[in-house]
Amino acid sequence: MNAIDPAIHIAAANIKLQNVSKTYGKLNIIPNLDVEFRAGEFTVVLGPSGCGKSTLMQMIAGLERVSGGKIVIGDREVQDLEPKERGCAMVFQNYALYPHMTVFDNIAYSLKIAGFTKAERQARVEVVAKMLGLTDYLARKPGQLSGGQRQRVAIGRAIVREPAVLLFDEPLSNLDAQLRHDTRVELAELHKRIGATTVFVTHDQVEAMTLADRILILNKGEVEQYGTPKEIYHHPASVFVARFIGSPPMNILSVSGDGTALRLADGQAVVDSHLIGDFHLGVRPEDIVVRNSGSQPGLRAQVRYREDLGSHSIIAADLAGETLRIATPFGADAPDFNVLAFSFPSDRLHLFDTKTGRAIPGALKEKT
Amino acid sequence: MVENARTINIVASLILIIGIAYILIPLYLTLTTASHSYEFMLQNGLVWSIGDQFLVNIRRIFTETSIPLQMLNSLAVAVGTATGMCVLSFLSAYAIVYFNVRWAGAAFALILATVILPLDMRFVTTYQVASNVFSPLNALLDATGLNDLIAKIFGAPFHGEWSILDTRLGLIAPLLAHGMGTFLFRQFFLTLPKDLFKAARMDGAGPVRFLFDILLPLSRTSFASLFVLMFLSGWTSYLWPLVASSKADTQTAVVGLARLIVEDSAVPDYPLIMAGAILVSIVPLTMIALLQRYLVQGLILSEK
Repeated sequence: MNAIDPAIHIAAANIKLQNVSKTYGKLNIIPNLDVEFRAGEFTVVLGPSGCGKSTLMQMIAGLERVSGGKIVIGDREVQDLEPKERGCAMVFQNYALYPHMTVFDNIAYSLKIAGFTKAERQARVEVVAKMLGLTDYLARKPGQLSGGQRQRVAIGRAIVREPAVLLFDEPLSNLDAQLRHDTRVELAELHKRIGATTVFVTHDQVEAMTLADRILILNKGEVEQYGTPKEIYHHPASVFVARFIGSPPMNILSVSGDGTALRLADGQAVVDSHLIGDFHLGVRPEDIVVRNSGSQPGLRAQVRYREDLGSHSIIAADLAGETLRIATPFGADAPDFNVLAFSFPSDRLHLFDTKTGRAIPGALKEKT
Repeated sequence: MVENARTINIVASLILIIGIAYILIPLYLTLTTASHSYEFMLQNGLVWSIGDQFLVNIRRIFTETSIPLQMLNSLAVAVGTATGMCVLSFLSAYAIVYFNVRWAGAAFALILATVILPLDMRFVTTYQVASNVFSPLNALLDATGLNDLIAKIFGAPFHGEWSILDTRLGLIAPLLAHGMGTFLFRQFFLTLPKDLFKAARMDGAGPVRFLFDILLPLSRTSFASLFVLMFLSGWTSYLWPLVASSKADTQTAVVGLARLIVEDSAVPDYPLIMAGAILVSIVPLTMIALLQRYLVQGLILSEK
């Protein structure tokens, strides 16, 4: 790989959370969490704001105490240790650089506290600075740097101690779109190079999909789904996950089975099935097949509007009183008539329980 | 607006000139009075000309009055209040902003209460406490009946007696009880990135290290502003030092100056008093000249 790599030795450690809970007074942020982050993997914790993801991260870091349960990093129980004893480093949302210190001192501060000699500090900081392209800025103060450079200093400050665990708390949310993309690529490369166990908190699904080896989706402090981006996209475990991932998100329609087919509220049959009862049916906008002519058999819906996004177009249509979004290739023959004919691919449909919102895997494949 | 700029400039300049004259003329008269002899003043009253007795009057301040010694007292009070205020406010603001103290809000409200209830309003009680620091404790023990218990066990009730009147501590301590500094530091801490404390903890810095390595260097300007403001108010404070010390050699210079008029027999020795006034003003004047940048910053900060 790179010639400077040998200078950063990271022994990645796995993180196990066992029955971890967190309450603030009467507020129960995390009821009971049992999850393992594998050593060396890039795990993204994804969820809407207030789902407990930042709290989770701060408990791993040691900035918040757990109300109950155990946190094990490597083979050490750390839930009662001070942050500095846990071997974690963190990159904060607003970077939290020390404004009065130079870039060099910012990166070297933790080494100084840990008692490294001046020569050692110098050597380590130089390696990190070279790795992050900060060599020319070491004498500057954070106020003289751009947002992206500050971000890199914050990362440098985190990796200089060779932590077993790297924690990122929504680190890209302060950057503009272009810089966010570039930094995302840099982060992915960096993770490949240094291989620390990385936990990255975000509410941005694009960051999650592009960066993660594994995504943990949290909702109200509980795990909705934990899996690879592919699993999460193609096999969402619940309505919540299905709606959260994908842009535009998955269509969720109310259907009921009469033993021969699943039907919409207006009686149109969506797919043959022997199931009986009410269900939620999920279908991704890009999986829906639009028929060119209105005379062919299939489902029909009233077109409401159409958005052209360059890479594709999104048609919003009224289907049995619900909004259906369909992604079509840009410039594809646009049906000018109001009524759109289309069909659902039977192998790409997702069925969810109406009450629990959980997926019913394989339910549609078992049909005769 | 643009067409009238000239007229506005002229009017504004006129107002400024009147203002400056209003401030400077008494100061100039102080200077002229200080430069004449007592006899000359008795014959001529206030004059616009500058005489040749200034150095003589200054020498008389050193030989005939306690002003030089009292200036040392003033210096002690000013430096003492300024330093004490800086340290106390810094630490209390640190505790309020960075620690999860349950009653932090109430504590801050109490501290702020000193701003709306200044020393001038708490004069009598403050004097009572200063004349015996233990008096609140004594009263509390008596009121709660704990003293009866103590009397049973130790044979006599507790009754502490410690007067800090006529001491420098007695001059300084009540002036310290003012919430402005805490407010100033709190406002400043709140402008800092909120994750700074967490970042320092992740880097391995404990609360004390964070205080010295991060917070203290960042607060330098606030410190300087507060120090200048408190030094000036300590140096010029009059009412409390007047009450808290009755002996000439423990009084402050500002009180000492006023005491020079005490004899109601004849016309006071104005040249001597004015020379003293000039001498006493030199210290705060130098302070303002050197540190006015911080003074302005402090005023802006405390108004926010």
